[in-house]
Amino acid sequence: MHNFRFTTFLTSNISSSENEIDYLLSRCKIKKVKKGEILLRPGEECKHSFFVESGLLRQFAIDDKGKEHIIQFAPENWFIADRSSVYFGEPSVYFIQALEESKVFLIEEQLFLQLSESDPGFLKSNLRLLHNHIRHLQKRIKQLLSDSAEERYLDFIKIYPDLTLRVPQVYIASYLGITPESLSRIRSELAGKNFTK
Amino acid sequence: MSTRKVQLVISPVEPHYVGDGFRVHNFIPGINELSMQRMSPFILMDYNSKFIFEPSETPKGVGVHPHRGFETVTIAYKGKVEHNDSSGGGGVIGEGDVQWMTAASGILHKEFHEKEWSKQGGEFQMVQLWINLPAKDKMSKPKYQAIQKADMSRYEIENNGGEIEIIAGEFNGIKGNASTFTPLHLYNARLKKGATVNFSFPEDYNTAMLVIEGNIKVNNSETAPTDHFVLMANDGKDFSVNAQDDAVVLVLSGEPINEPIAAHGPFVMNTRDELMQAFDDFNKGKFGYLEY
Repeated sequence: MHNFRFTTFLTSNISSSENEIDYLLSRCKIKKVKKGEILLRPGEECKHSFFVESGLLRQFAIDDKGKEHIIQFAPENWFIADRSSVYFGEPSVYFIQALEESKVFLIEEQLFLQLSESDPGFLKSNLRLLHNHIRHLQKRIKQLLSDSAEERYLDFIKIYPDLTLRVPQVYIASYLGITPESLSRIRSELAGKNFTK
Repeated sequence: MSTRKVQLVISPVEPHYVGDGFRVHNFIPGINELSMQRMSPFILMDYNSKFIFEPSETPKGVGVHPHRGFETVTIAYKGKVEHNDSSGGGGVIGEGDVQWMTAASGILHKEFHEKEWSKQGGEFQMVQLWINLPAKDKMSKPKYQAIQKADMSRYEIENNGGEIEIIAGEFNGIKGNASTFTPLHLYNARLKKGATVNFSFPEDYNTAMLVIEGNIKVNNSETAPTDHFVLMANDGKDFSVNAQDDAVVLVLSGEPINEPIAAHGPFVMNTRDELMQAFDDFNKGKFGYLEY
């Protein structure tokens, strides 16, 4: 077995045999991407789910005024894909871009479907991961509709503890749906409460 | 007398930028042999070899970032750096000066080329070292020691051979100004062509040199050119350095801190839980706040 983060992720999250995990790994491609490189553009078909072995990706959309909206960050151990494209075959409306030099596993949807049919253990685990993702997205919608910006920020740092040191403020603000100025204000207010010289 | 041999002479790797103001070759811990454990207590060394920065109205540098669990030592050979931190501290590190910052429980700061220097531009050459703290001192209060060139302790080498500036520790009975948490020595050997100087450190002290200017010959056998890193083995105490030209050599030697290291980004702790705590404290403003 290779010493990948992906291997560890699969062995701890998928209840399949070592042979099946080896088979899955052998069917995935690993790609090195440069900082800034774009893996998916609007209009294209998203052919793979991406698992981030190292580095950092983001999924974002651009509105008709040219403003970016970040849907998801994917640091190490995260999956990222456009589900509407990768599963439903629709042309994508998103960009997926590397924010750091990254190593990414490319997984074809067909492989997931095939393993789900042949291996009940895989099917169960994959369903759990999908439901976990849906849970995350529902929580995110609820937060965007009803939580304060500070509450959203405090949840963000729980999910992504080191991203405040890895990405510019403006990206975090975009993910939280606030202006960079509001993010500065939240952080300086927190420091006002929590900092003792 | 037990001779300490040269283990390896290491060429600088391709430089990378820290922010837009520091073009550095990383030696520790990027080079395989130079892991944090092998070089402890010296857990990072970034070297901005001599590089000309064009004049810039907006000072180049590195924006707001935190540190916890160790000390940063900035040694300025050429150029000037200005820093500000979240507790209102700040200052300028000028040519020949050393800034010893004990981040310990946490500092949030930014470092930029000094405003007036930046407008002129010119040669820039600096070393930044991270020195680990033992577990019991990692959460102590942050502090600064500013060591100006003029106040630096000096040892004159006989026959007009140059001088040893003692930043920390001791050389031939002369003590450096910086106080340290664990025993270590840090010098700038400013040697005239042809001069030879002998160093002696306890065998278990991790020891290395960085050639800032000129070429040197170690133990009368291995040569090391400018910008090269000389890793000394831990097989003896004494070694000699001979200057093939006028030379400046940064000499470092310290007692290893034999404790577990959990390091990620700007935090160096002993356990993963302490690291996660550092990120959480930083994110929640416990390091203070500085405008970006």
